[in-house]
Amino acid sequence: MKRKIPFHIMTASILCILVIVLVVVLTMIFSQAREAEPIYPGKGVTDVRMLSDWFPKLKGTNGDTEVYILDSGVKGSSMLVLGGTHPNEPAGVMTAIMLIEYCQPESGVLFVIPRANNSAFTCTDPQEAAPMKYYIDTDNGTRWFRFGSRATNPTDQWPDSEVYVHASSGQQLSGSETRNLNRAYPGREDGNFTEKIAFGLTELIKRENIQITVDLHEASPEYTTVNAIVAHEKALDLANLTLWMVEDSMKITVEASPTNLHGLSHRELGDSTNTLALLMETANASQGRLHGRMDSDLVVTGKDKFYTRAYGYGALNVDYPADGISLSERCARHITCVKEFCSMYEGEAGLISLGNLPSYDEIIDQGIGHFLKDPQ
Amino acid sequence: MDIELICLLAMLGSFLLANLLLKLPVSISMVIGAVAGALVGGEGIPLRHLFEGTFTYVDTMLIISSAMLFMTVIQESGALEALNATIVTKLYRHPALMLMMLMLVIMFPGMITGSSTAAVLSAGALVAPVLLLIGIPRAKAGAIVAIGSIMGMAAPPINIPAMLIGGGVDMPYIGFDGPLLLLTLPCAVISVLLLGLRHCRNLDADKLAESLDLEVGKKYGFRLYIPIIVLFVLLVLSKAFLHFPQLGTCLIFLISAFIGLFTGRKFNFWDKALKAMDTTIPVLAKLMGVGMFIQIMTLVGARGWIVVSCLSLGITAVYIASLTIMPAFGAISSYGAASVLGVPFLLVLIQAGGHNDIMVASCLSFLCCLGDLMPPTALAGNYAAQIVQLKYKFVLKYCVVPFLICIAIALAVLLNSSFFSFLTV
Repeated sequence: MKRKIPFHIMTASILCILVIVLVVVLTMIFSQAREAEPIYPGKGVTDVRMLSDWFPKLKGTNGDTEVYILDSGVKGSSMLVLGGTHPNEPAGVMTAIMLIEYCQPESGVLFVIPRANNSAFTCTDPQEAAPMKYYIDTDNGTRWFRFGSRATNPTDQWPDSEVYVHASSGQQLSGSETRNLNRAYPGREDGNFTEKIAFGLTELIKRENIQITVDLHEASPEYTTVNAIVAHEKALDLANLTLWMVEDSMKITVEASPTNLHGLSHRELGDSTNTLALLMETANASQGRLHGRMDSDLVVTGKDKFYTRAYGYGALNVDYPADGISLSERCARHITCVKEFCSMYEGEAGLISLGNLPSYDEIIDQGIGHFLKDPQ
Repeated sequence: MDIELICLLAMLGSFLLANLLLKLPVSISMVIGAVAGALVGGEGIPLRHLFEGTFTYVDTMLIISSAMLFMTVIQESGALEALNATIVTKLYRHPALMLMMLMLVIMFPGMITGSSTAAVLSAGALVAPVLLLIGIPRAKAGAIVAIGSIMGMAAPPINIPAMLIGGGVDMPYIGFDGPLLLLTLPCAVISVLLLGLRHCRNLDADKLAESLDLEVGKKYGFRLYIPIIVLFVLLVLSKAFLHFPQLGTCLIFLISAFIGLFTGRKFNFWDKALKAMDTTIPVLAKLMGVGMFIQIMTLVGARGWIVVSCLSLGITAVYIASLTIMPAFGAISSYGAASVLGVPFLLVLIQAGGHNDIMVASCLSFLCCLGDLMPPTALAGNYAAQIVQLKYKFVLKYCVVPFLICIAIALAVLLNSSFFSFLTV
């Protein structure tokens, strides 16, 4: 006699098989975020070290990250450029990568970290519907880069407490900031994963006696601090001099680092080290709340009808044209200011010159991809 | 018509069709709405986004699950009955004071954790039987618990929507205590007295004694309360002292529940825990569905359409949207309302001038918190209804008047934010 399988067992079995198939497929999809985008060091790169060289506790963790050193061989000052503090702010990442692949300093030493929070490149934020990758056309074909998250991957640090308490100041922030590298400075040797990354970066700055640190960010166009240089009080003169040099090319403001907002690089690195701490913000529609369809095109072109409309309603702090604010334009702002920080700096250790970097207009006209290295 | 609006209509239409006509659960209807939105938006069936969205509330879901285990333990151990007996016998002569004290007890876990869910499931579940004992009808008792837990969520020291809004504009979470107390305390007191006082003006001590189980308290004594004390002490310590290990609300509930297994009546924990989780899983599924829904709204641009449409209507409309759409967005997520709407609304109101930034941010966060009453998610409302063993629609009816009072108070404070700026010091 033929035995009939009960309906509920059959349903449960089908669901279990479906779940297994989904888990396999989704694991394959999410694993792609673990593969790092290739970076091709240019002629200016003299050494590639790891952050764990300055803070060994990071060795073997997802928080360890590459530090590219571009030593001109000519005595001078040193500068650290941080990209990827927030991987969902791609102009910071792309500017750092462009410096690694294109820049040849003529005096002083340039340190570049393109993935300051390496862990945050391996995930995206729920609810933000971000693409896992965006694509940039170069003279040698299309290259891909990960979009990533604002915060450390929860598989590296979890769970978040309801309230994040900044260790050295006691300042309270939403628990979602617990994994935000730019709320963790100056970091703690025995702190959580993100605080350890911040500590490693602070150690690098101290031990290498970095004179200028520039943390490259982006902000949503509706944010108050956008198209701006935020400077620690020690770096305000340098920021203002730079503003004077670049304001013919672009609209930009200088803001003093608030003394009561803790954990941010421009506040804590300026307070706890000798570096001149600066942070830059450009307008990135893909990380805002007003944007329309979310995809790689939005990240790269910045074209968004809703932001253009919002600009028309006077709801934004930046001009938002129908053509958008492209990634190339945002990188052009960063690169131009980084170059001018160096030009305007007159430190005791000597000058720092980044050599022949493209101008603001050249980057916009030819696209950031044009200045990336040919992998061959 | 914008394609983003068409996607939004497709999502809402599919959701309503599945939920109301096909009578599918809210969670499954949300999934259907999300898939419909993705299809209309030309995204196919974006597995990655559908899956990623479900992780939005994973922390909240763990807190709910662990809180349910804690509640099961204190109910089965007899602690709940003993506590009820103590409160009623000590305070029944002063009903107004008793109601206000009970409201404060409901609010307390929310004030410490910033979560209305934690407040409902811990103190709310403790107080609800007391409210029933003193003669307040089930639906009104549920409404008191729901409103109280939301006032706790909004009250200082911890208000997570305020932190989210502040974080969006680099405003430190400083100076919020005064404004948040101004908003929450009057609303809490008015609500509890409005809903409860007429039912407990003339309490009869003998009648109350008949309804109370005084034996369990006598048998086990003080030790019955140890898990509740441990819960509150750990919650306070982990928030008040920076160097105290950050155990997290979820672990604190589990530790307290574990202790409760040895402090009162013996019971089969496994059986009771399974039953508790059975009642919880639909709410957890609803949260996963909501997360998925929002992710697809963002993907196809419907989220942006909602925000830009609100901004397009001018400053008066932003006031109206703050008072209506922000709490309504709580039907999806009150934290989502803070992050998605709170930040742009705050920026528009600040730009308009004449406001105190912190007062405005406090009002907006308060309005976001009210969203936890909004169905279908209605975290506070659904659990409050579950505690008093009613469907949420019966409880919701009695939440309407307190809700409107809260909106009116928020509007008054919002319009006079400069006047109240002395509170932000």
